[in-house]
Amino acid sequence: MTMTLPTLASRRLPLAMASEQRATLRRLPLAREFDQRLADAGLAPMRPTRIEVMQVNVGRVCNQTCRHCHVDAGPDRREVMSRDTMQLCLDALAKSDIGTVDVTGGAPEMNPHFRWFVREVRALGRHVMDRCNLTILETPSHRDLPAFFAEHNVEVVCSLPHYLGARTDRQRGDGVYETSIRALKRLNALGYGSGVAGRRLVLVANPVGAFTISDQGLMEAEFRKALGERHGVVFDQLYCLTNMPISRYLEWLVESKNLAPYMEALANAFNPAAAAGAMCRNTVSVGWDGALYDCDFNQMLDMPVAQGAPRHVRDFDLAALTARAIETDRHCFGCTAGEGSSCGGATA
Amino acid sequence: MAAYFDDEDLAHFGELEKHHPELWALWSKYYGKAFEEGLLTKREKILIGFAVALCEKCPYCIHSYTAQAQSIGLTMEHLAEAGHATASLRAGITMAHALVAHNIDKKTGM
Repeated sequence: MTMTLPTLASRRLPLAMASEQRATLRRLPLAREFDQRLADAGLAPMRPTRIEVMQVNVGRVCNQTCRHCHVDAGPDRREVMSRDTMQLCLDALAKSDIGTVDVTGGAPEMNPHFRWFVREVRALGRHVMDRCNLTILETPSHRDLPAFFAEHNVEVVCSLPHYLGARTDRQRGDGVYETSIRALKRLNALGYGSGVAGRRLVLVANPVGAFTISDQGLMEAEFRKALGERHGVVFDQLYCLTNMPISRYLEWLVESKNLAPYMEALANAFNPAAAAGAMCRNTVSVGWDGALYDCDFNQMLDMPVAQGAPRHVRDFDLAALTARAIETDRHCFGCTAGEGSSCGGATA
Repeated sequence: MAAYFDDEDLAHFGELEKHHPELWALWSKYYGKAFEEGLLTKREKILIGFAVALCEKCPYCIHSYTAQAQSIGLTMEHLAEAGHATASLRAGITMAHALVAHNIDKKTGM
C-alpha cells in the first residue's frame, strides 16, 4: 500500500512557507553558490534570450498529492486563477508574438475556466500545451477531455515517472499507474502519440528518489520498449526532469536524510551548457493571481521577477521582461545539473 | 580502528594516482574506453559493471553502479534480476568446479 501525505499547507508545517524552504537550502554547506557558478560560466546575470513560452499556472488544486510535488498541490488547495486573470493573459498574448502557452497547475483541467481559456488561446493562433497528470482524464467530469484536446490540437504533456507500476505508485499514489495507462490508451486511440500533427503526446519522467537521470535518450528508448510491449502504448517524446529540492520533495529529502548529498550532487554536476539552455531564458511564468515569475519553481518560492520589470500580467511588457535579470537561488542547481532539466526536458 | 570501507572513500579514489601516475593514466584510459558505448549499449555495460561488482564484492563499485543504473531509470527490480543472474552463475561455477573432484575420483577411484 502506497500512502501519499496530505499537502504541507494542510498540515500547517513550517516547510509550507517558501521562506522556510529557501532557508533550509541556505543552511547547507555548498562549495560554490549558484551565482558564482553562473559567473564562472560567463552567464551572470542570467537574462532571457527570447520569450517564446508563457507558462500559466491556473491553480494549485489537484486530484493527486504526489510525494515530490513542487507546487504542494492537492485537493485541499483553493488557489484558482479567475477568468478575469485569464483574460489578462490573453490580452498579454495578443500584444506579443509568444507562440506557446504552457498550461500547468495543480491539475490545470480542474480550473472551471480551463476549456474556455484553451479555446481562446487557440483562437489567437497560439500553440497550447497541457501539463496533465493523466488520472484526471479518468474522472467522470473530465472523461471527455481527450476529445477536447484533439478538437483543439492541444499538445498533451503527461506525467509518468516510470514504466514500472510500483515505482510510479510509490511517488504518485496507489493505482495511479494503472489509471494513467488507461488514460494513455484513450489518448492513443485518438491518434495521440503517433507522430501526427496536432496530436503530440509527451511523457514526463522524473526520478523516484534522490538521484538524477543522466541520459534522456536512453530513458526514452526504455520507456518506448516497455510501454509498447507491456501495454501497446505509444508516445512522441519523453522528457526527463530533475526533482526540484522544494516543497514536498524537499520535505522527503529532509526526512530521508538525502538533502545534503542530493544538493551537493546537483551543485557538483553544474553544467554551463545546461545553464545556457535553461527554460527561464525563454519562458515567463504567470501565477494563479496574475503575478509574474521567471519560472514555476520561483513562483512556488515566492520569488517574483526582478524589481523594475512588470510584476503582474496586467502590466505585461514583452520588451521590459526580455531585458530583465532572472532571479536565482540554490534551487536553480536543479535545472543546471548534468544534461539539465526544464519543462521541455534536458537542455544540454 | 575505522572501518576498512567507508562511503566517503570513492571521492578521493583519485589520490591513488600520485603513487604511479603513468600506470594510473593507462588504467584510467583503458577503463574509460572499455565502458564507452560500442557494440554493447551503455545499459548493458552498466549491468556488466554491476554484476562484476557483486561477484567481486566491492562495496564501492556496487554503490557506483547502482547509482549509474538509477540514473538511466533502472530500478531495484532490474538490479535484483541482475543479482540473481550473477548469483546463479556463481552457483553454477561452484558446481562446475565439482567436476575437478569428479574427474579425480573417476581417475583414481575403483
